[in-house]
Amino acid sequence: MKEFELEPGEHVVRQLRRHWLLFLGELLPYAILAILPFAVPKLLVLAPPLVGYAGFFNYSEPVMRVALGAWLLMSWTGAWGAFTKYFLNAWILTSQRVVTIKQRGFFRREVSSLLLARVQDVTTNVTGVLFSLLGIGNIKVQSAGADVEFTMRGIPRPEQMRDLIMKYIPEEEEPKNN
Amino acid sequence: MSDQPLQPFAPPADLLAYLPDGVSAGAMVEWALYIVFAFWAIYTLVAIYHWLKYSHASWVAFPSIALHLLISFALVTYALTGTRII
Repeated sequence: MKEFELEPGEHVVRQLRRHWLLFLGELLPYAILAILPFAVPKLLVLAPPLVGYAGFFNYSEPVMRVALGAWLLMSWTGAWGAFTKYFLNAWILTSQRVVTIKQRGFFRREVSSLLLARVQDVTTNVTGVLFSLLGIGNIKVQSAGADVEFTMRGIPRPEQMRDLIMKYIPEEEEPKNN
Repeated sequence: MSDQPLQPFAPPADLLAYLPDGVSAGAMVEWALYIVFAFWAIYTLVAIYHWLKYSHASWVAFPSIALHLLISFALVTYALTGTRII
């Protein structure tokens, strides 16, 4: 199934997603959850009153293997779900419009288009030391009527994308004086 | 507040007494595992449906699904070694 139908003569110029570093940030909670069963017994040993609890984390015990396997399975599935959502969110620049695809959750999806002919203003915004060094920022695309506004957040090299959008905005035809 | 030192946690010895007659602790563990697997299966099916449905994600869909299934089956197999199933 296609996300949207291209008009005759229209072609996809660029498709982009949020910067991979931001995705890694989303994976962090799942990584912590996955490490937790191995880290907790080692941390408990450091606190003498709690040493007795460390014995529960014996993964040679069948029940603990079941618990660990189920825990890791849930952590992995959550991380994979985060990747699925990351990948299904995209911005697509065609030669005629900007299409934004937002996968807010499973079975909750928004696909909207903004014709480049209606674009009046394209603004980039890079904030912070890390984002400046890595070239991560936002782009705001506003239509002529200011009723439609697209914001692409956390994209790599927003200046390049802005230039690309500007390049494909059709020039206004001069009124003919007869 | 009591100034007694913390005692190591121990599950109540009579916890198994709450289980219905004829249901062993091993069977309860297996059923808990089945519930986790059922959740995993539904979540995986929904995610695979989304991967395959949307064309802009298609080139990564199959490697992503294959990796997910591979790692999941490894973890499921590991979990099942703790039961009587394997």
